[in-house]
Amino acid sequence: MNRLFDTAAPSVIDEKMLRKAVQEQGPQGQAGRLAKEEGIQYNEVIQLCLELRNILKIGHLWEFTSLTKLQLNNNIIEKIQGLEKLTNLVWLDLSFNNIEVIEGLDSLVKLQNLSLFNNRISVIENMDALGNLQIVSVGNNLISQLDNVIYLRKFKELHTLNLAGNPICQEENYKIFVAAYLSDLVYLDYRLLDEQTREKACVEYQYALEEMRLNELQEQKEIEAQKITEQELQLHKDAFVELLNGPHLFDSMFADDADAPKLACLPGVTTLLESYKTQLVALCMQMFEAGLTQHARRQNEVESFFSCSREAEADNQQRAAQIAADFERSRRQVMAEMQKATDTKLLEAQASKYSDEISQLCDTLMTLELQLVDQLEDVIKDFERNISDLVGGFTEYVQGIFAQCRDLENHHHEKLLEIAVATLDRVAKNELEEDLPDDVRMLFVDKDTLINAVSASHDTHLLKIDNREDELMMRINSWMSALIKSIQDEEVKRNRKRISEIHNYVDFVKDQLEEILLEEHQ
Amino acid sequence: MEVLLEVEPELEEAELLQEVDEEEEEEEEEDEGLRELRELEETLSRVRIAPSAPHLLVQKAEGDQSEWPVSFRQNSTREKLLLAMADNFRCQYAHLYPDRKPLLLCPVNECGVQKFVSTTLRPTLLPYPELYHWQGCASFVSDFLSLEPLDPPVDPPHKLRSPTWVLRTQRGTCFEFSTLLCSLLLGAGYNAYCVSGYAVKQMCLLNQSRQECPLLKPQVKEELEEQKQDVRKYSVKPPRDLQSSFEHRQEEKRQEDTRIALLSKQQEAQRLQEERERPPLDPLLGLRVHCWVLVLSGNREVPENFFIDPLAGHSYPTTSEKFLGIESIWNHQNYWVNMQDCRFGCAEMTYDLADPVKWEYLLCGSNQSTLLIPDMKKQQEAEKEEDEETEEPKVFEMPPSWVSKIHISQEDMESRCPGGTKLIQYRAATVEKIAPYLLKDGLVTRLTTYDDLECTQPNTVREWYKHRHDHLDERELKKATNVTVEHFRPGRSYALKCHRYVTLVPETERQMDFYSHARADGLASRVETPSEITETFIDRPDFLHYRHVVYGKRELGEMPNNPEQVQRPIQKVVERFHRDRSKAASEDVAEREFLLSEDRIQVTYHKEEDRIIPAWRNFIKPHDAGDSQNANAFTPQMASIFQVDPFKKPCKNLFLYKTLMALMKEEENVLMRIKDSEKEVRAILAARQQEESAVELQISIYNTARNEKARCHREALECLAEDELLRKEEKELDVLAPFLARLGDPESLTQQEALQLRTDCLAELKQRLIDRANLIQARFEEETQELQQKQQWYQKNQLAMTKDDEDEYLAYCSNAMFRINILKLRLSRHKDKAPQKYLALDEKLRRDPRLAHHLW
Repeated sequence: MNRLFDTAAPSVIDEKMLRKAVQEQGPQGQAGRLAKEEGIQYNEVIQLCLELRNILKIGHLWEFTSLTKLQLNNNIIEKIQGLEKLTNLVWLDLSFNNIEVIEGLDSLVKLQNLSLFNNRISVIENMDALGNLQIVSVGNNLISQLDNVIYLRKFKELHTLNLAGNPICQEENYKIFVAAYLSDLVYLDYRLLDEQTREKACVEYQYALEEMRLNELQEQKEIEAQKITEQELQLHKDAFVELLNGPHLFDSMFADDADAPKLACLPGVTTLLESYKTQLVALCMQMFEAGLTQHARRQNEVESFFSCSREAEADNQQRAAQIAADFERSRRQVMAEMQKATDTKLLEAQASKYSDEISQLCDTLMTLELQLVDQLEDVIKDFERNISDLVGGFTEYVQGIFAQCRDLENHHHEKLLEIAVATLDRVAKNELEEDLPDDVRMLFVDKDTLINAVSASHDTHLLKIDNREDELMMRINSWMSALIKSIQDEEVKRNRKRISEIHNYVDFVKDQLEEILLEEHQ
Repeated sequence: MEVLLEVEPELEEAELLQEVDEEEEEEEEEDEGLRELRELEETLSRVRIAPSAPHLLVQKAEGDQSEWPVSFRQNSTREKLLLAMADNFRCQYAHLYPDRKPLLLCPVNECGVQKFVSTTLRPTLLPYPELYHWQGCASFVSDFLSLEPLDPPVDPPHKLRSPTWVLRTQRGTCFEFSTLLCSLLLGAGYNAYCVSGYAVKQMCLLNQSRQECPLLKPQVKEELEEQKQDVRKYSVKPPRDLQSSFEHRQEEKRQEDTRIALLSKQQEAQRLQEERERPPLDPLLGLRVHCWVLVLSGNREVPENFFIDPLAGHSYPTTSEKFLGIESIWNHQNYWVNMQDCRFGCAEMTYDLADPVKWEYLLCGSNQSTLLIPDMKKQQEAEKEEDEETEEPKVFEMPPSWVSKIHISQEDMESRCPGGTKLIQYRAATVEKIAPYLLKDGLVTRLTTYDDLECTQPNTVREWYKHRHDHLDERELKKATNVTVEHFRPGRSYALKCHRYVTLVPETERQMDFYSHARADGLASRVETPSEITETFIDRPDFLHYRHVVYGKRELGEMPNNPEQVQRPIQKVVERFHRDRSKAASEDVAEREFLLSEDRIQVTYHKEEDRIIPAWRNFIKPHDAGDSQNANAFTPQMASIFQVDPFKKPCKNLFLYKTLMALMKEEENVLMRIKDSEKEVRAILAARQQEESAVELQISIYNTARNEKARCHREALECLAEDELLRKEEKELDVLAPFLARLGDPESLTQQEALQLRTDCLAELKQRLIDRANLIQARFEEETQELQQKQQWYQKNQLAMTKDDEDEYLAYCSNAMFRINILKLRLSRHKDKAPQKYLALDEKLRRDPRLAHHLW
């Protein structure tokens, strides 16, 4: 904006410019030659400097995915854009441009050093994702509100800040304000923040800061509390007994039941409901407790299995690695000898002996691997059996309790029916003392309606219980099968990886041998 | 022979005892009560002169008796009473048990006065922390004193000298050892007793040459066996064993047989060895009198009763078979005689002193409370007091000790052994204890072990040092291999901890261990052989933990005279690194090998978690790689790589080139570091040589006795203060100054001037004295005159005066009289002093160095 030669035509980032810049800024000399031979991929470039090029609009940079440092200073850029793919960026220089709004930086989570010096920015904003920021320069801009500084509080690692040349610097308590609100700041406007300023700031803004801190603390606490409850719920879910530690099931049974509140108005139903609820909740609690203990047992089982299988793998791996390392050492020796050897016959004899050794190594490693596969197979089978026993035991227990729940519901239904019929009689005889609401009275038009209503309510309740049971069964079974499958898949994957590794190595070794022999023949 | 001689006095004693038998029996009936006791004493006075109790004869006192305190030379009445009681006890005992040896009850002290053994104990707690534990007390007593064997060895001594005497002369019998140790232990709060009894010869004569040296005993390590999870539910089955189990069993059997054969052979050899080493049978076994200390459990958190042998300072369980019998025990409060059977040693004995069947006490009533905890004790005492009030108004208590307070000086504490050194002979080992600062090189302990029992072929010499300026703590020299191992305390330059070497010449075999946490480079150890150096590191930020350097033969082409200055050519450097978790495994170097002689660099990377084969890259160095002009320097053939993951894209040449360049730079760095460490080795060796040639001892700034510098400083300060004082006095009294000034402060004086000066000076003083006398006289007269006038005025106006005026006059008169009196006094004193002052000045002038040689 305050450039003397603002006459040149604005340019665009294009292939030519990028190619040139990459070549110029890439490796030089010997390395440059090698680079040229192989060609430079844009996605390998680490640093890029596009300064003083009169660029108006950022673009065509999406290929530079591993870029860590990008300099776009001294251009005429008006809007921050086109940087979304540069997620590895650590250093971004946009100074001496015509930017008015901070935006488009949300994907640059690794950014540490951001320079927006000498632009037209008036508000510090849209930087919530940049949690790693350490150095921020927004000097020579149009920031006029001191409150902008408070926004920077969320950057815990920020230690250097430049605000010089903004309108806020004119304000009397600017420095103290910044020092007060950014207590971890070390450098402000090219200078070390001295202890005196800091102390003064602390005194001046004591109350405001304390309040702010308190609020922040409270927020944090809330978040933590929420996290804890979430964790608990997750634990219960993992145990498949979530929301069974209370009247949740009971409540849900009656929530979708339209007739229940009407029926509850009948005389004597309240006490009936009370006792029903306590009984059902007790059953639920039983289930819940059993679920948690069973979960712990399952967890234990899984852990012990994994630790054992890992141990076995590590042991096997170590032995194989030792064999491979020994072989590699001897191989290097043999290769060196063979390279020096001149006698063709001797060489061939050596080569044949060596290739025998290679195949022997291959056999040894394969044997070891097969051994491990066998061992693990047995163990996995054991584990499968045990875990399905555990799950079976638990499901049986839970089914028993659900059956009890159903009995309870049936019992409740009968009682309710009795009361309803009795009430109906009394209504018919006009002996009812209590005043019933109109919609309830509607039920007592005739016997069928009443019985229908009661059985509909009963059906809803039973359905709820069944649903809960089905959900539990389904989830626990799917968990078990997923676990077993993942273990088996892992094992297969591991086995394939190892075998491919062995083959890869053996092939490599054989290739090397052949190369030497070939050279010798020539 | 000795045994026979020993029997005779016993027989005599028995006969004589029969004579006094009847009397004693009578006395037994009418015991108790002071009066009777006194009578008893008289009756028994005959017994005292009987030859049956030779130890009661008054011995000739040693040295000048007057230097001892009164309590040493005389007995108090209470003590006399106690002696009488003891004598009564002795007579009864001898009568009842005629076949038992006489008890040691009242031996004479160094002044030839009979003292009861319990009163010789003086419980004392000394202000030295090391004397607060029984271990410290025992080792101090055993170190500090030298043994005088009992003569004859089968009788208790006639004389028991006080701890004061023992500490002064640093000599003593086992009884005196025990008395001193017991006093210290009682002072430190232990429930300790002196024990008079019988022990084996080695113990009585402090012959430890058959014992293992305590310094050689392997330190008991706390065995923390890790409790592994024993039953793992899912641990894999071991692979099937395809070997014949029959053959296996056969093999096992064979091995077992050979093992048993070997074992039996070993046992046989051991048995033979033991037989050879067994001491010849002692003809006096079971008769040798010894005295040691018994510590009973209860106080000071002592969990079990145990014995301490004061001569060697070791503890033994009460079941130890080296102690053959107990006659009696005593502490500062009471005396008990053992009534238990000791024919089979002390193993079966019980030490419940309150049991009168097993322990016969001398004084009743004072022992019961010793084993009780304080609360109980108080209660007991309260009860006892009540009892005493009702039944027995007075229980005789042990009189206070006659021994003066035990005092051990700081110097004695430090030098410990008599003369500062002590040599102890152990089984195939000798230990030399030396007081700190006694030797120039700071040696405090030297342990020499030998291959043979006769101690002719030294095997290892271990030396412990203290206060060395070079922080040397311990040095061990193996004679066979000539290898020296030196251990250092922290604080040396280069943080050296341990140094094992044959010679101090560089480039020879050695091992240096370092305090790695104190070093910036984390070096933990450096092992050298003539052609190799292996260094290990701990906790380095770059994860390096091992570096191995192999040298080639030195080429002596250029400077054959000075081989030291030619660098040995390095053939190979291997560096190993720990896994750096922040890097990918295939990019994290595990080992790099710089093969300098072959111009190659081999890099092996870490294995990935689930891999068995690591990736590696081998490079051949381009010959002029630093020269960027040479465009063809790097070719892909120079690198051979192995990638673990076959699906990963192969490395670009540019990347390989960069890696190679970085490695070559690293190589240079590594070579620099190797040079640095060679330099360091040389510096350490030079420093060691220098330190050994001139050993300095550190003296703590708190050590006022030894800190020469501090003492000099202090003395200098004192000197300075004295000088200052003198100068001040001189300045004040330089009477000649004004006269000299009058003469114009000449450098030296002529005879005449000096005489003149003296006369002037004296005249001046005379004048001043006269003036002063006149002044006082004048004021006296003035005062008197005024008073007279006032008196006259008063007499004139006496009648017309008011009461107030009269009072005022009287007050004035008394004041005036007071003043006049003072003046009178002053005048007379002045008149007295004036001639003296005059003479003093004269004397001073004569002494004055400026005038002296003129006047005399």
